[in-house]
Amino acid sequence: MLKALRSIRARLLAGLLALVAVTTLVAGAVTYSRLLTETSALLDYQLHQMALSLRDQAAFGPGLQLPSRANGSEYIVQIWDPFGTLHYLSSPGLATEAGLPFIPPPAILGYADMRFAGRSWRVYSLDTVWGVIQIAQPWSVRDSLARQAAIRVLAPILALLIAMAAAVVWIVGGAIAPLRRLTAEVQRRDARSLEPIVAPELPAETAPLIDELNRLLARLREAFGKQRAFVADAAHELRSPLTALSLQLQLLDRARDESARNEARARLGAAIERSIHLATQLLTLARQEPQGAPVQLQPIALEDCVRQAIADVHSLAEQRDVELSLTSSSPADGSLMVRGDPDAVRTLTRNLLDNAVRYSPAGGTVKIRLDQATSERSATAGSPPQPTASGVALTVEDEGPGIPPAERDRVFDRFFRRPDAAEGGSGLGLAIVRTIADRHHARVRLEDAEPHGLRVIVTFPP
Amino acid sequence: MRVLLVEDDRMIAEAVRTALQQDGNVVDWMGDGASATAALASETFDIVLLDLGLPRRGGLEVLREARRRGIATPVIIITARDDVQSRIAGLDSGADDYVVKPFDLDELAARMRSVLRRGAGRGEPVIEHAGIRLNPATREVSYRGAPVQLSAREFAVLEALLLRPGTVLSRAQLEGRLYGWGGEIESNAVEVYIHSLRRKLDPDTIRTVRGVGYCVPKG
Repeated sequence: MLKALRSIRARLLAGLLALVAVTTLVAGAVTYSRLLTETSALLDYQLHQMALSLRDQAAFGPGLQLPSRANGSEYIVQIWDPFGTLHYLSSPGLATEAGLPFIPPPAILGYADMRFAGRSWRVYSLDTVWGVIQIAQPWSVRDSLARQAAIRVLAPILALLIAMAAAVVWIVGGAIAPLRRLTAEVQRRDARSLEPIVAPELPAETAPLIDELNRLLARLREAFGKQRAFVADAAHELRSPLTALSLQLQLLDRARDESARNEARARLGAAIERSIHLATQLLTLARQEPQGAPVQLQPIALEDCVRQAIADVHSLAEQRDVELSLTSSSPADGSLMVRGDPDAVRTLTRNLLDNAVRYSPAGGTVKIRLDQATSERSATAGSPPQPTASGVALTVEDEGPGIPPAERDRVFDRFFRRPDAAEGGSGLGLAIVRTIADRHHARVRLEDAEPHGLRVIVTFPP
Repeated sequence: MRVLLVEDDRMIAEAVRTALQQDGNVVDWMGDGASATAALASETFDIVLLDLGLPRRGGLEVLREARRRGIATPVIIITARDDVQSRIAGLDSGADDYVVKPFDLDELAARMRSVLRRGAGRGEPVIEHAGIRLNPATREVSYRGAPVQLSAREFAVLEALLLRPGTVLSRAQLEGRLYGWGGEIESNAVEVYIHSLRRKLDPDTIRTVRGVGYCVPKG
């Protein structure tokens, strides 16, 4: 029952119908009781008038002509002469086995309620020169008359109650109907159609709800759009390494001698490596995207992640004769801590190191630094800029060709490769770095290294 | 044939170049749009294989620029973009064919031959001229019904001349077909091959135009 009342419709109906019923019943009860009173007064008036008309029929004596006994009369008419003798009695319709009832003395002038002959009576006694006229009417008759009058009056009210109840139900239904329309609108939305809901005919109260729904739909559209774009980009990018694979295989088929076959096989192996690398990077990027599995950020020691990343690229660095050097300035109370996801930070570092190693000349060094970051608050008038400790900075510096300032924004785009990009890359490394940095609320800056090379600084918030 | 291959992906370019060279073509490879435009402006090629996603200048722009300059060399677009809009844009920009990656090498070769056929105004796959019958696909040559054995370089020179009967090709142009860029050119290699061809076919099949070059006479 209570559950049903959670519905707006049920609540409205219950309240309004109760109100209508109570009002109507109260009105009916009041009307009924007033009707009884009025009817009683009317009948009393009638008794009085009857007595008067009898009195005014001229003096009566033995020759008094009284109306013949009419059937159906429910009155007792008694007339006493001044000497106390019952002069006239009429009660034709009220004969019982006990005989004709009469109004027992003494006569109380005016209106009186008396009980005799087994019933209650309303008695009116009028004192005249010629004697006392008494008229009595059974209360049961009066009540019956009153009730009939009441029913005649209340019946329309009852009909009105029913009509109002029906109208209330209809009106409430009509007021609630817009919600059903809203439900239908929302049901029409699915992954393929996420247009905003535009329904000017819906009531003003639903406007905030519709606004929020539309905002949610917009966010969904954006998320789906990003997902589609990512998949489309990835599929497009996969074509190139797969084409290389297909071509190398065709060349292998064509190879006519052993040396040609070996060369083709070696190239095929390289193409497969490249495809695997691209697929791995795509997976990594997908996992780091906001739509990927959410991971909690916990306090981690940055140096551990960096050391693991160094181990990851160690063999590549050896292959290219590039040295990796790490300097870390830990505070006195322990190692540099940041809030992060250890795997993601390791991946970020590994991608930075991978780029640095690939673009370094043979015999070069890639420098890795971990520091407390300082940022300078801009100078206010009259005082020099104040350095403040704010977070941890990871710096990776190589001795390669660097990136010209004009391209520094674009290099973070997915699949963007510069014209002199190194062999084997996927174009996703910096996109991955940027995505992970965003998740950690870290900033990534690109600078020129002296005399040449690229310096990447990732600053984690405090 | 002298082929200009414009492709920024090194692995794909190496594979295509190897395959084309195995078929006896000379391939020059450019890795970006600017270099490709420069190459088209300074050298003559028989056919261009053009990738669209190029650094420094897009493939479509290279193509439109070349057509604007009146370079009529047949162009086949090779790209990963397979949607209809891109195909339409490519063909309307002046390409003769549109191939989508990944592709089959043999099919690419056949399309190259088809495009060249149309360029020369021929419907027949086989070139027949003045008694010489040359099949670019099978690399068979016969003269007056009798098969003729030619070396790869001799074939290249003969094919180049037969593709444009009546057009004079200079020694430099013929050398370009034999070696492309960066190849080692023996000083009178072309004369040697012309001489050899005349011997194997007929002295009149190839005419020397003094001071200009060689041609196969029309008619």
